[in-house]
Amino acid sequence: MRKKLSAPRVLSRREFIRLSAAATAAAAGGALSGCSGSGGGENVRLMVWSPSLDQAKDSGEWLQTCCNRFAELHPEWDITFVYGVVDETAAGTTVSQDTEASADVFMFTNDVLNNLIDAGAMAKFGGIYADEIKATNSEALLASLTVDDYIYGVPFTTNTWFMYYDKRVFTEEDVKSLDAMLAKGVVSFPFTNSWYLPAFYFGNGCTLFGDGTQEELGADFGGENAVEVTNYLIDLYQNPNFIVDADGSGLAGMRDGSVKAIFTGSWDAAALKEILGDNMGVAALPTYNLNGEEKQMYAYAGSKAIGVNVHSKYMVQAIQLAIYLGGAEAQQLHYDLRTVIPCNTELLADPAIANDELVAAQNETFDRTSILQPFVASMTNCWTPVENLGKGIRSGTITHENAAEQTKAMNDAMNSDGIS
Amino acid sequence: MSSNTKAAKQLSAKRIRTRNNIIVYIVLSVLAFIWLFPVAWIVMTSFRGEKGSYISTFFPKTYTLDNYIKLFTDTSLLNFPQMFLNTLFVAICSCILSSFFLLSAAYCLSRLRFKLRRPYMNMAMILGLFPGFMSMVAVYFILKAVGLTEGNGVRLALILCYSGGAALGFQITKGFFDTIPMALDEAALLDGCTRWQIFTKITLPLSKPIVIYTILTSFMGPWVDFVFAKVICRANADQYTVAIGLWKMLEKEYIDSWYTSFAAGAVLISIPIALLFLKLQKYYVNGMAGAVKG
Repeated sequence: MRKKLSAPRVLSRREFIRLSAAATAAAAGGALSGCSGSGGGENVRLMVWSPSLDQAKDSGEWLQTCCNRFAELHPEWDITFVYGVVDETAAGTTVSQDTEASADVFMFTNDVLNNLIDAGAMAKFGGIYADEIKATNSEALLASLTVDDYIYGVPFTTNTWFMYYDKRVFTEEDVKSLDAMLAKGVVSFPFTNSWYLPAFYFGNGCTLFGDGTQEELGADFGGENAVEVTNYLIDLYQNPNFIVDADGSGLAGMRDGSVKAIFTGSWDAAALKEILGDNMGVAALPTYNLNGEEKQMYAYAGSKAIGVNVHSKYMVQAIQLAIYLGGAEAQQLHYDLRTVIPCNTELLADPAIANDELVAAQNETFDRTSILQPFVASMTNCWTPVENLGKGIRSGTITHENAAEQTKAMNDAMNSDGIS
Repeated sequence: MSSNTKAAKQLSAKRIRTRNNIIVYIVLSVLAFIWLFPVAWIVMTSFRGEKGSYISTFFPKTYTLDNYIKLFTDTSLLNFPQMFLNTLFVAICSCILSSFFLLSAAYCLSRLRFKLRRPYMNMAMILGLFPGFMSMVAVYFILKAVGLTEGNGVRLALILCYSGGAALGFQITKGFFDTIPMALDEAALLDGCTRWQIFTKITLPLSKPIVIYTILTSFMGPWVDFVFAKVICRANADQYTVAIGLWKMLEKEYIDSWYTSFAAGAVLISIPIALLFLKLQKYYVNGMAGAVKG
């Protein structure tokens, strides 16, 4: 019975019904007599993993609330929930470590999706479930969770970074251009962090793995256009109004007033709101002026999603719970309790949400000023070289004289499997 | 004339001594400063009033106890008191178990002669060359098969992990036991002592320094371990040890509001170790020297 349930990786609704009918029949026939339900419903034990913020009393126990509502919606099942704490990024390693002893339903960031698939952990969403996910999410978002035409999770938010600024210093016109901002106030950017720094390179036509999925094309961070960017970055670093944001110095600068704009994500929104109050401005990424031309910065963007473990004993229930947790109602609650920015297209149409500056900025970044963060396996080689370039500029070892050579070295390292 | 030169010599000798002392003290002060600098910094950060992980000044502008209070009252997100108790429980249990294993193994290898004595010592030597976390994943799956990776089983699993390998680290203790004269054992045997009685009534009382050294090191291991705890605890947040909790506080979602509390936590966990060291310091040094002197 168990084998039969876990073996098919794509389960359409029809299959689910057949399987759950078989399960019910087996239960009636006494094959599973040891665990007959108390409330007349089928006994179901679902383990659910989420970050601790979703389970904490102080932030409204989002997960527990949603799971209880889900149980109310399904009186036919007598569900026991077991909660565990694993945040979306840690899911990549924790679930892969031992898929069988992992949660039935868990949350993950899409950049660890390939690890999870390789570990044989991910159930595919098929049939009407796939249709339901497709109906309420944007193309770009779906692409972040699709591998070989299969959808592997229910997205519940986008994951990217954008710009926060002090409205007293910059106007809405200023924040469209980094150079205009630098002329008026101090800007801090995570220069030595390779999740942020490539934004400049993408602006000048550099690409990673073609459209992000063509692994064979490799990284294209070499060439004349990349060298131009490196030269721009060297000048940027020397600009007196530019400060490198590392180890939380940007946020600290906002706090003591020495920094007027920083680049970070929604996780710092609460802290920045506390610092700036009504003067907090949020915007998508600006352009930067490269040799007289305005170039758009592009952030890495991804998604956070709810996944289902292929080893789950209760596949139907797990899939339905995942759909519920990623659905409009749960996203609304997530937004109300923790300001997790929704991605459901129906919710985004709601004026109450659409008028929230933070939501607008994150979604505009996702739609307009970001590229989908590639999650092909070779992507792991692309982090350290970019970080080293940023650090090289900071330490002064990379100068205009050797910019071309150093950019080439970075590109070579990004395309090499060796440790560099 | 001669008394004059003598006086001059004495003076210059005194001068040289003073000069040497000054140099030595300057070097020592610089070293002490370098050593104490991070400690002083973390203590200051733990009392820092300003939020955030980064400040531009070395000395905090305001001081507060709130970081400590937050650790113990704000338990809905990261339950520090629970983690502290978990760690304390695991550390005490594994300390007792592994001290017992280690002392027994050392005693047997020092006093008894049996066929596998050499092979055992060689094996222990070779196994000791491999870092413990190489076996981590295997250990996890074994514990899972026994059913110790969920609920309160995690604590037992951690205790087993930390104390299981203790008997391999007998070398120093055995060396110490070797310095106790065999004649003592023989006399006791003639008087009708069993091996166990010799161990508890003669060897251990004569080996206080090394016993205390053993207890110290076997308490420290589990108290500060991160790797095994992380692999075994996984999603069981109620079983987290302090090391995992502190690490969590530095994740990007928490770091801004938890950083100063992280420092407070770091200060708190260093207190038991510091106290143990201060109390047992003289034994710690003697432990290396041998049992019966002169």
